[in-house]
Amino acid sequence: MATVEYQKIGKSFGTVVVLNDLDLTINEGEFVVLLGASGCGKTTLLRMTAGLETVGSGNLSIDGRRVNDVHPRDRDIAMVFQNYALYPTMKVYDNIAFSLQVAKRPEQEIRAKVDEAASVLGLTPYLGRYPKELSGGQRQRVAMGRAMVRNAKVFLFDEPLSNLDAKLRAHMRVEIRQLHDRLAATTIYVTHDQIEAMTMADKIVLMHEGRIIQVGKPDDLYDIPNSKYVADFIGSPTMNFLDGQLRRAGKKVQFVCGDLKLSLPAGFSDQQDGRRVICGIRPADVTLSAKGEITGELSLIEKTGADMQLHTTVENHEFVAIVPRGVDVAAGTSVHFAVQADKLHIFDAGTELRI
Amino acid sequence: MSQSSAMQGRFWSFDRAWPWLLPMVAMLLVFTVYPLLYNIWLSFHEYAPLKRRLVYVGFENWQTLFADARMWASLGVTLFYFVVVLIIQLVLGMALALLLDSDDPGMGFLRGVLTLTLVVPPAITGMMFLLMEDPEFGVLSWFLEQIGLLTSSTPILATPATALWGVVLADVWQWTPFMVLIFLAGLRSLPPEPYEAATLDGASAMQIFRRITLPLMNKVIAVAVLIRGIDLFRMFDYVFVMTSGGPGTTTYTLSLYAWQQTFSFIKWGYGATISLLALVIILVIANLFIYIAKVRW
Repeated sequence: MATVEYQKIGKSFGTVVVLNDLDLTINEGEFVVLLGASGCGKTTLLRMTAGLETVGSGNLSIDGRRVNDVHPRDRDIAMVFQNYALYPTMKVYDNIAFSLQVAKRPEQEIRAKVDEAASVLGLTPYLGRYPKELSGGQRQRVAMGRAMVRNAKVFLFDEPLSNLDAKLRAHMRVEIRQLHDRLAATTIYVTHDQIEAMTMADKIVLMHEGRIIQVGKPDDLYDIPNSKYVADFIGSPTMNFLDGQLRRAGKKVQFVCGDLKLSLPAGFSDQQDGRRVICGIRPADVTLSAKGEITGELSLIEKTGADMQLHTTVENHEFVAIVPRGVDVAAGTSVHFAVQADKLHIFDAGTELRI
Repeated sequence: MSQSSAMQGRFWSFDRAWPWLLPMVAMLLVFTVYPLLYNIWLSFHEYAPLKRRLVYVGFENWQTLFADARMWASLGVTLFYFVVVLIIQLVLGMALALLLDSDDPGMGFLRGVLTLTLVVPPAITGMMFLLMEDPEFGVLSWFLEQIGLLTSSTPILATPATALWGVVLADVWQWTPFMVLIFLAGLRSLPPEPYEAATLDGASAMQIFRRITLPLMNKVIAVAVLIRGIDLFRMFDYVFVMTSGGPGTTTYTLSLYAWQQTFSFIKWGYGATISLLALVIILVIANLFIYIAKVRW
């Protein structure tokens, strides 16, 4: 277990800047998810932590020790790769035991540790098989077993679930999180899947174009996104955005978009009249109500089983709402939604930062 | 007539395999199967110079073969040569391949240079080494004398203890690059992920080579050994050019001995018998090797 600290980390491949002036501290025992679209630099940051990429500039410290120039072999880090990176010529047992074998641990200790890991991961019947004789999910477990027996300072996961089918992925999410809780080891997990990030993380680090956009607990990123980018990235279906202006009416401030007027909470009372803003509303935060301020032309109803997603057009913007199943609406008609003032997310139209 | 029945009526239809296979089968029959059968037939006959024709001798050739001390000696030379050269070329070839398996500038050029020894005809290589190992003006002889491995009284190719090693040098020079090329092709196509995983698992370079690279290269090494092994077992050019089997009979390989019996002594039947023995041994060794090298992963 250890802390991991990034100070002013930068990295470029040729003229392409991948990481830019990045600062981040990961606490002991924390489960941190690096989240972002492909090309945001999250995997580079992870591989840098492992020592598989050199640190371009800045300081990388593990447990207070600067490791920029420390060989990956000496960093005491376990990693689960996206494509598992199993040793194809070794049976499952040797795959899991490899790190202990090269460290010349006593045979008895190796067997005990491998057996324990195998039983936790349900791999006991497969110890004598080669990786190619296993299913995707089983290979994934072997990769995890290999990390488990290590007792490493830091565990790294590089999109470990992206090659699994949806059902298995949901299952493995729970298993990885339980494994972390058992080992209480510092874990850095890279993914582009915001569901994985939301369900597993103690702390989400949302990255975009080589920079950190927002760091926080999953709920914080969901409830108080600091920019339109974060608001758009987190949550499914994604947040609805309406372009409009702030209007003062006496002491109250309203968001105005065409004929739509929404009252904002008291916190906005010092805002300038006419400021151009974007208003974000999560699909799950609206309710159908005949007296609702938001009027939408309903074009499509998607039934997901538990609820319904209503695809509408509000003041020339696409607008999706989630409502309980069975409500009586028909495509082609107008529907009205109500939303609580404190559920509105207001971003500046220029900087796209939260106001 | 419908389309399908028209197709059935046609001779060159894709449904019939044999018209397409016929040319290949005919070639194999004429150039491989027939000579083999003729060789077997020949081993039960011998050329009678007075009658000027082949006469049937039964198992006489085979009996001679197993009682022939010179045959056993040349088989010994062949096996020794086979084992020694194969080991040297494997180890040296792998070492060079590992050194050249890099994207550093100039490595591509060096890999290209490697192919140069392969375009030299083996007989010419033999001549080159014959000159270089000449006791009076050969550069190799001079060099070996300078480092004290050789004295002027022991010409490499005329001394029984060193003559075969002199031939080994030529073979190693010419064919080690072949091994390097095959190994490089293998090394360049290995997946990078297991290496990254092994490094993080704390393995040293030597441990990675032994536990990751070698097993992954298993099949590539097997192919190299098989191709080179068969070549080595029928080695003829170098000894023919460099030593003619001498001094005495110390560098007579099985092929050279079969050649001598056939073409110098005009013993067509006995020469064929020796060749058949070589074929059987190669077949047994090759199949044994394929069986042993069979990999499960």
